[in-house]
Amino acid sequence: MSPEQARPVRLANLHKRFGGFVALENLSLDIEAGEFLTFLGPSGCGKTTTLKIVAGLLTQESGEIYFGERRIDTLPPSRRNIGLVFQNYALFPHMTVRENIAFGLRMRRWPAARQAERVEEMLALVRLQGMGNRKPEQLSGGQQQRVAVARALAFSPDLVLLDEPLSNLDAKLREEVRLDLRNIQRQSHQTTVFVTHDQIEALVMSDRIVLMNSGRIEQIGSPQMLYDEPATEFAARFVGANNLVPARLEVVNGEAAARTGSDVHVRLNTVVPGLADGADIWMCVRPENIHIITGEGSSDGSGATVLDMIFQGTTVLVDLESDGLGSLRAEVPARHVAGIAAGQRVGLTFAAAHAVPRS
Amino acid sequence: MPRGLLRVFANLGWTVYVVAIVTWLLFPLSLILLSSFQGTISITTDVSNLNVSAYEAIPDRYWNSLWFTVQISVVATVTALLVSVPAAWAMVRGKLAERRFLSNVVLLPDVVPHIILGIALLTLYLQIGLARTWLGMLLAMLSLSLAMGLRFTEALLEGLPEEYELAAETMGANKLQALVLILMPLMAPGLATAALFIFISNMVTFELLFFISGPNASPIAVRLFSDIIDRGIMPHSVAMASIMIYISIAFYVIVALTLGPKYLAGSTVSRKG
Repeated sequence: MSPEQARPVRLANLHKRFGGFVALENLSLDIEAGEFLTFLGPSGCGKTTTLKIVAGLLTQESGEIYFGERRIDTLPPSRRNIGLVFQNYALFPHMTVRENIAFGLRMRRWPAARQAERVEEMLALVRLQGMGNRKPEQLSGGQQQRVAVARALAFSPDLVLLDEPLSNLDAKLREEVRLDLRNIQRQSHQTTVFVTHDQIEALVMSDRIVLMNSGRIEQIGSPQMLYDEPATEFAARFVGANNLVPARLEVVNGEAAARTGSDVHVRLNTVVPGLADGADIWMCVRPENIHIITGEGSSDGSGATVLDMIFQGTTVLVDLESDGLGSLRAEVPARHVAGIAAGQRVGLTFAAAHAVPRS
Repeated sequence: MPRGLLRVFANLGWTVYVVAIVTWLLFPLSLILLSSFQGTISITTDVSNLNVSAYEAIPDRYWNSLWFTVQISVVATVTALLVSVPAAWAMVRGKLAERRFLSNVVLLPDVVPHIILGIALLTLYLQIGLARTWLGMLLAMLSLSLAMGLRFTEALLEGLPEEYELAAETMGANKLQALVLILMPLMAPGLATAALFIFISNMVTFELLFFISGPNASPIAVRLFSDIIDRGIMPHSVAMASIMIYISIAFYVIVALTLGPKYLAGSTVSRKG
């Protein structure tokens, strides 16, 4: 699908309850044409419910869904023109790869020649040329996954939905496939909604991330935005590793700082808008933003005792008990840990600190 | 004892065990088959004078009964499966609240002793004129076939993830297309296996049909029983019994060749769930 053809998608006030449980609370969202948008959140946050409502596999209690100007939530799944990639792919086992990819075209009564042409195009897009006559069972997990994507893209849907499609792959393959998926999406300019609970997947693949919690949108933004400037405590804790220290906001001459209960002062680089002087905050410091100083000058900044060190290849996690900031975890490049050992006194500086409201 | 030797003994033990079970299962069958070619009803292991005289002596009324049984068995099997697929689909996919209750109720004809059903049916059939008729026998047999058919198809559908249908629908298929293009081909091997078991079970249904059968509507099992009660075991009765075995084996082989043996080995769907 060319970018001009793609239409924006609008979800307006979607509401869904299961018995007394509110699965979605008046969710509204605009998805740009050609965008790769990820719904990220823990299980039960409403991300899969949203996906199913958009696909027509669940019915919302209220709210509307539009593709461009056209309202589609009143249509059955078969007439919404949505490509859906299931978690288990749901490739038809009795059909070949080619027949699977052509299924949507067949349902749309494309002429046979155009079907064949389109299938070849799709096979090339997902790098499975020559595999068209195989049955799904003859393919590896990663290949099956790509067939499922090709099948969902083939009929030029208005929207492609991916329901945790990487969760059945082993860790190494998952890394490969998520880059694959991103490249396929960029090439096809296909408006795509991806659902995952894996924050790394979300960060790597998305143009924008919709972080969800308890049926509500917690934050929407670019991966960088979500990582660097989480808007809420939930966002700060869910996306990436983080150290959260309770503190109070101090604004002096336009400079923001966090003051902790034990009177430690840390300069804040970013603060969630709307927070006023004196507000209760969580000071958030990413592990990689904690720098450990050993030897001479280790008394600069705040001090800490090294509790434990966890080697993980390129980096080492260093668990610290700091003076006045409680337990912290730092992540240090492996080549920088020489001279650090458990039990040692060290100094700490923070390369970047961020503040979110604390209730 | 060295471990290697222990393993040899263990393997030998298992082999004897399995052979014993297979022998136990097949011994009566092989005896019947053997004696059907001996032309006598005495049980001997004499293979010097094998002949087909017993088969030649099978009277017409046996052939008529066999043909009658094959007909109603086939019709009952096919009808049962045609009715079962949509019913099971509604029960499994429709997520009917009464589903558990329903799937147990449909088992009743199979759980209640058939002889009791037979007596009940006789009482009813005598009043509505169905006793000793083709249709009456078919309907009785159908009640058993349906119970089995529903059980089979329910289990088959349970084993097929709903995602297949949903995937077809999101790609533009309506419910009927999803059923015909996706569900039916996926269910076909299971349905063939189900047909095999239902058919074979129909062929030998006895108690249920005993009371309601008559001279012109007599399934082969009832015919054999009556004849043996009246006249004792005759060589041609044994020959007819052997033919029933051939039919079962032939059916089994046809299904196995069509589907490949993996669908039959330990056929995953058990009769009573």
